[in-house]
This record gives sequence, C-alpha cells and structure tokens, in this order.
Amino acid sequence: MTKRQIWWLLIIPCVLVAAAMIASLLGVFQFSFRRFIPGSLSAGGFTLDNFYGMARPIYLLVILDTLLISFLTAVFCLILSYPVAYALVRTTKEWLRTLLVILAITPLFTGEIVRTYAWMLVLGTQGFINSALLSIGLIDTPLQFMYTRFGVVVALVHFSMPVMIILLATAIGHVNRDCEKAAANLGAPPLSVFWRVTVPLTMPGIIAGTVVIFAWTMSAFATPQLIGGGKVLMISNLVYLQGLSSFNFPLAAMLSLIAFIAAIGSLGAIQPIVARLERRVALQ
Amino acid sequence: MTAKDRLQETGTDSVVEIDKVAKTFGSVTAVNEVSLSIRRGEFLTLLGPSGCGKTTLLNMIAGFEAPSAGQICFDGRDVTAVPPHQRETGMVFQNYALFPHMNVFDNVAFGLRMRKLDKQAIAREVGHALDMVKLSGMAERRIRQLSGGQQQRIALARAIVFKPKVLLLDEPLSALDKNLRTQMQFELKELHEKTGLTTVFVTHDQGEALSMSDRIVVMSRGEIQQVSEPLELYSRPVNSFVASFIGEINQLPAARLRTQGGLVSFEFPGALTLATHRAAHTLPGDNESVRIFVRPEHVSVAEEAGDAANVVSATVVSHIYQGTHTVTRVESAALGRIDMRVPGGRIKEEKPAGSPIRIRFALDDAVVLREGAA
Amino acid sequence: MQAMTLQKTSFWVLVAIILAFLTLPALVVIMTSFNPTEILRFPPQGFSLRWYARAFTYSDFQNAFYSGLIVTVVASTIASVVGVAAAYIIDRYQFTGRRLLEFILVSPLIVPRFTTGFGFLLIGAQIGLAGSYPLVILTHIVLVLPFVMRSVYVSLANIDPALERAAANLGASPINVLMRITVPLLTPGIVGGWIVASILSFTEFTASLYVTNYSTQTLPVAMYTYVREYTDPTIAAISALLIVSTTVGMFVVDRFLGLKRILAIETH
Repeated sequence: MTKRQIWWLLIIPCVLVAAAMIASLLGVFQFSFRRFIPGSLSAGGFTLDNFYGMARPIYLLVILDTLLISFLTAVFCLILSYPVAYALVRTTKEWLRTLLVILAITPLFTGEIVRTYAWMLVLGTQGFINSALLSIGLIDTPLQFMYTRFGVVVALVHFSMPVMIILLATAIGHVNRDCEKAAANLGAPPLSVFWRVTVPLTMPGIIAGTVVIFAWTMSAFATPQLIGGGKVLMISNLVYLQGLSSFNFPLAAMLSLIAFIAAIGSLGAIQPIVARLERRVALQ
Repeated sequence: MTAKDRLQETGTDSVVEIDKVAKTFGSVTAVNEVSLSIRRGEFLTLLGPSGCGKTTLLNMIAGFEAPSAGQICFDGRDVTAVPPHQRETGMVFQNYALFPHMNVFDNVAFGLRMRKLDKQAIAREVGHALDMVKLSGMAERRIRQLSGGQQQRIALARAIVFKPKVLLLDEPLSALDKNLRTQMQFELKELHEKTGLTTVFVTHDQGEALSMSDRIVVMSRGEIQQVSEPLELYSRPVNSFVASFIGEINQLPAARLRTQGGLVSFEFPGALTLATHRAAHTLPGDNESVRIFVRPEHVSVAEEAGDAANVVSATVVSHIYQGTHTVTRVESAALGRIDMRVPGGRIKEEKPAGSPIRIRFALDDAVVLREGAA
Repeated sequence: MQAMTLQKTSFWVLVAIILAFLTLPALVVIMTSFNPTEILRFPPQGFSLRWYARAFTYSDFQNAFYSGLIVTVVASTIASVVGVAAAYIIDRYQFTGRRLLEFILVSPLIVPRFTTGFGFLLIGAQIGLAGSYPLVILTHIVLVLPFVMRSVYVSLANIDPALERAAANLGASPINVLMRITVPLLTPGIVGGWIVASILSFTEFTASLYVTNYSTQTLPVAMYTYVREYTDPTIAAISALLIVSTTVGMFVVDRFLGLKRILAIETH
C-alpha cells in the first residue's frame, strides 16, 4: 500500500467524526431559526422569532450575568493559580513538584458532578464552612453561600484552576532564568525581579490562560445548575430550562448559538493580541 | 589571615578578596579552597577547560551561588552573605540575557532605575554608556532587531553604566564568530582602558586570555594552578597542566638534569644529551629527574652539515600549513613526537612526509619541571 | 538575608493556603461519605459505611455504572483509533482542508458542551436515536478526541524521522513502516490518550445529560438526578470513590508516563 493509499484509509474515520461534529452544530444552527411548535419535538418553518426573542430583558440579564461571572472567575483564577504554577515550576525538590502537579491536576479528572457536589457540601447552610464557623463561635446564624453569585464564582474558580495552572506553568517554564539573574545583578530585589521581569515575560501565557478560562466558564453548566439553584442563571442553565424542561428546542438552540458565537468571538478577538505579545517577548 | 592583613601584605589595592572559598554540589566539588586577590582596575581572566570551576567561582563573586566554605570580601567588607542585588557587581551573561520586553534604553537604564536615579541623570548616563560601546542612537530599538554583536555590546553597556565595583564577564565572546570575536577583544580592552573598571573575564580560550589580560588565573578541577601575567604564564608555567594548556608545547620524555660549571645538560634515555647555557639557579637541582617542555617555535630544522649540538634525527610525519608558518610534525626515536613551527610554507615540498630530517632544540627558554611536580 | 527568608516563607504559606483551598472540597466529600446520619454535620459524629453500601446496591447507580463503563470503553477505544489516524495524517501529510479538518476535530474544546450535547440530541431526535447507546457513544467520541490527538501529537513529534527512513531504506513498505515502526513508537501517546479519554468520558456530565435517557444514563447523570431528590451522603460515597481512584490513577500515570512531560512543563 502506498503512502497515498494509507492516507485514504486513515482519513475516512476522521471525516466521519468531523461530519458528526458538524452535523450537531448544524442541528443547533438550523433549529435556532425554526418555529417552536408547543407540545412537539419537531419544529416548524423558518423564522427569526427566536432571535428577536433574545431581546427580552431576562435573556439579556442572563447573558450579562454569564459574562460577569466568567470574567470574575477568570481573574480570581489567575490570581490564585499563579503562585501555585510558580511554585510548581521553580521548586528544586522533585517530590514537591510531583505532589503539586497531582494536587493541582487531579480535580480536573473527577468530573463536574463530583466537584460541584463537593462544593455543595462545603458551602451549604449545614455545610463545612458554616459548621466550622458556628462551632468556633465566629457566627451565630449560618451564612448564605448557596444560590449566590459568590458561591458560584468560588466553585467555578476552583473548577478552572487546574487548566490555568498548567497553562501558566508552561509559560513560567519558558522564562529565561538568566534574565532574572541579570535583573538581580543590576540591583533588583527579588520582588522587583518578579514584577519587572518574570511577570512581563509570562504575559502571553497569562492572557491566553485568562481568555481560555473565560471562554470555558461561559459554558459552565453543572456548577451554576446545582449551586446557582435557579437563582443564579448562566446561559447553559437557560438552554437547559428551555430545552429539557420546556422542550422549546428552537429557543434553546438560539441561546446555544449565541453562547457559541460569544465563545468563539472572544477567543478570536484575543488571538492577535496574544500573538503580538508573544512577538514582543521573543528574541528572534 | 584576614582580608585586611592580606591587603597590607600584598601592598596592592585589592577590590575583591577570595579567602579559601569552596563549593560543593552534593558529592561533586566544583571549587576546592580557592584564594585570590583581585586588584583594583585590573583585567583578570579566569582560564580553564570546562568543568574547572571558573564559572562557579564567578557566580560566587556575583552572589548567585553561596560558598560552601570560605569568605568573599569587597573592599575589606565581608559580602559572603550579601544577596546578588546588593553586591554592586555588573555581570554580562554568556547569552547576554537582555530583557526582550524592553527596548535598548530600558535595558541599559535598568540598573540606574533600581538605584533610583532621576530621569535626567538616567538619560545622561545611558547615552554615555551607549557612546562607549559605539551604539549611540540605538536607544529606541527592540532587542530582537539587534545583531549578536550589538546585543553583546548592549549587555556590556547595561553592566557598566552604574559603575560597578567589579565587572564580571561570563564567556561573553563564545557565541560570536571568529572575526567578530577578534574585533570585540580589541573593543573590550579599549573599554577597560577607558572605564578603568576592575574586570573579571571567564574563558576557556587561552589565546583570548593571553591577548587581553593583566593577569591570568589558570584553573583545573576546582583548583587554581597558577596566577601570573600572560608573559610569565607562557614562558614559566609551574606545572605540566599549565604548560600544556597555554599555547602549543612539546613534552619531552623524562631526563636527568646535570649541572657542571656553567653548562646544564639533560640526559635522556638512549644516550641522548641536550645542553644549554642558561642560569642553573632557576632550575631544579643536580641529578634530579625532570620533564622538559619545548615550544614548537624553539625547534628548528638543522642544516645537514653543521653544528651537531642539540640536533636530533627524526622522520617527517605531516605538515599543517597555516599561512605565516607551517606546523611540521616529526617522529624521533629518542624523543617521540615533536611539533615544530617552520616559517613559510616551503618545507612541505622540501621535506615531504616520510623523509628524514634533523631538528635542533633551543633550550634556553624551555620549561623545566621537577618530575612529580608536573 | 533575613528579609529573603521571610519572603520565601510567606510565599510558601500563600501556596499552602491555596492548595488547602484546592483540596478542601475533596476532603470534605471523603469526610461526609463516612457520616453515620443522613443530616450532614461537621465535624462528623461517627463513622459508617452505610452510604457506600447504599451506593453499591442502588439499582440506578448500578445500571448507570455499567452504562458508563460500556460507553467509556467503546468511545475511548474508537476515539484512540481515530485520534491516531487524525494526528498522523494531519502531522505527516499535506492536503487541502488539512487545517480545517484539524479545527473541526479539535473544536469540542471550544464549543460549549451543552451546545454539542444539545446538537447531538437534536440530530438524534430527528433520526429516532435519541437516548440510544450509539448516540451517546458518538457524542463521547467527539468530545474526547481532541485529548487523544494532543497526546499522540506529543509522541509523534518525539519520533526521530531517521527511524522511519531507515526502515524504508531496509525495504519496508509504507504500511509496514506505519504498523511496525510508527505505531509501536506511538504507544505511550496512545495509551496516555486512552487513559485521559476514559477518565474524561466516564466523568462527563453536561453533554451526557442531553443525549442519554433513563436507560442509558451514565453515572454522573444518575448522580445528578439523585442529588436533586435526596440530600443524603450516598453521592458523597460515590464521589469519594471517584476522587480516590483518579488520584491513584494520576500517581500511576506519573510513575510510568511522566505527568510533567505529558503536560509539557519545562523545569530547570
């Protein structure tokens, strides 16, 4: 079999899978422009009603809320992840590095439900935090974390840290240590070296990581669903409500489409900025 | 002996005192009890093969490595525990380590900004430093727009602009091609004259060391072998390592040294005797077993019919023509392989490989070391 | 020097606090899973394995576990095969639409999973396969494929091209080079990719919520349904099991494949 024939053989499964993916996206796309028939799973003819339906305040509020929550999550995730990523890369003890990697990465693999449930246990009125504070006597009545934006953001930050840590660790690993030594040699105390040399040199990674987490959080579902409990809604929850509760597939499809475009759009808009930053930091 | 005592003893003004400094990494000893005084304003080179400890020593002077033992003093003050950013040393790294996210001006100004100079002073000093490295007007350029040679000069400017106590250069020329390297050697010397900064230069290239230094510290396996001025180092190496490391040299088999009156003779196995009239008091004693090292330029072709003193028969092995001279390798029964330096290029035709040849040794400048001291 | 050590100490204290934040939920879950009573209380008032017993005997969980297992094994294996094929032809061949194909196959990383899941539900509904195993498996294949591809890419980049040329020079036909040289050398990447795919597929929730129905629901979906109705710590027991097994799995992967290398983290 020639090289070309191998190519033909191998490309078939790839194309099949690609076609499946496109089919699912097309499904969403075409449903968003079709009329909703109450009580039926199939949809009617072409209409822009779903699109106009987006203009209702509740949908706009949810979209704004989603953007806000995603932004807050990305920022706090960055702040908390950087020290861990830095420690992970710069420690000289291998066992510590392995420990940090495992502690940081494992949550990623336990799945949304497990992690969200865990936060319910921590944040609930009878949960860990409240029980601990009550038994110490710091508070008299339980604090409300569940069903608040705060609770959702905390859980989402926890959710995204593994990915952010990996992205930041890669960026920090690529910093030329001699530049840091040069800065110290020229008189910069350690904190100065960090802010003036290390952070700027990792800026492409910082921006890329923040944007990735932002886009990823926009599509979060289990966390706002369970911790938001209907009081804090993100786009994903709205899609679920419309799609699997009201069975209004067309509207749900339109919402999905908007979320999808927002995610792609923000990633695409950031690309040239990240590329420019990477060129600034490169030596070639 | 304290640093102050040593200062008084040497009588010279020493900027850096390195006192029995050692550095071990786990089971590896990188630097083994090194003591050294670095004089104010001198151009001192740390020379040795890779792994000899020169870079580790440099890093300890800069403060990037803490000595496992010993003390380092700047101007009499113990700086062993002082962190790198408070040491007032200026370092030029092997790959320059320029800040890619800043332009030339900000790179050079960095040290001044750390010392909180005001804007006008900074602008003035940066301009002055750029003039000194002959890159005036490049202040706005980004680092990646510069060539290798230009980057190196900016790295220099950045290190000298705040007038450090010691300028440390870590093999700065090794990344440059030959022509550029030679040119930079000139410029570095010029810079050293102009600034008068005490400079410590690390290299493995002995030619570079010989051409640029006021003094050379030859290191091997973590220890100092010899500290001398270049000429002294070349003509009077103290052991066989230094003798072989600096320049080309022929190591002759062990011989017995005999002194009789004003004549010094060396008796080789096989009844060969070479002699010289040099002063005997600089040599090891009578009847000692010695090793003789002769530079190729002190071995010449002997005429067929002529004075037979210090002449040995040999066979030509090969020639390497080098433009101004030819390095001719010969094999002699009594003395083994000898490399000679013959002016011009005609010997290649006159004495092709395999032909017999008579060679004469001029031993007045030969290096004579006691066997065992080598 | 004093100030430096203070800085270093405060840095590590900060890191420790953040790590505590990272591990707190897992610890709370494990603690809760042994809680003797239905009402959660901290600190727990005793020790009991009853929730583990319930988790193992609850029929919905049993069925969901097996469903999930079927879906995961089939989807991961197929995804591994497709992933190798995709990574290989995208890396080693030039053809029109190469970048487009790559983009489509990798897009599940960017497209929200509720969109992908919903899209597959719509397709499934239209062709009458809603909630069926093939649909769920197909969805999972699409979702985990990017991870397999990435893992294989890393392995592919590490193969010395001289090896394949040497094989060809010694007389091996292209298919022989592929099967006898390339694929065996890709084994770490394929195995690593398969493991990652399995874990992600078994714990996948959002898209599965859309494409499964009651009979095909995977474990995370079953857990979700349970959580909405009951508040007892049975879920904690299952979660604790999942947490411990993935952590152990991570140690194993690190030991044999080197986690840091897979994640391409440079350290010096």
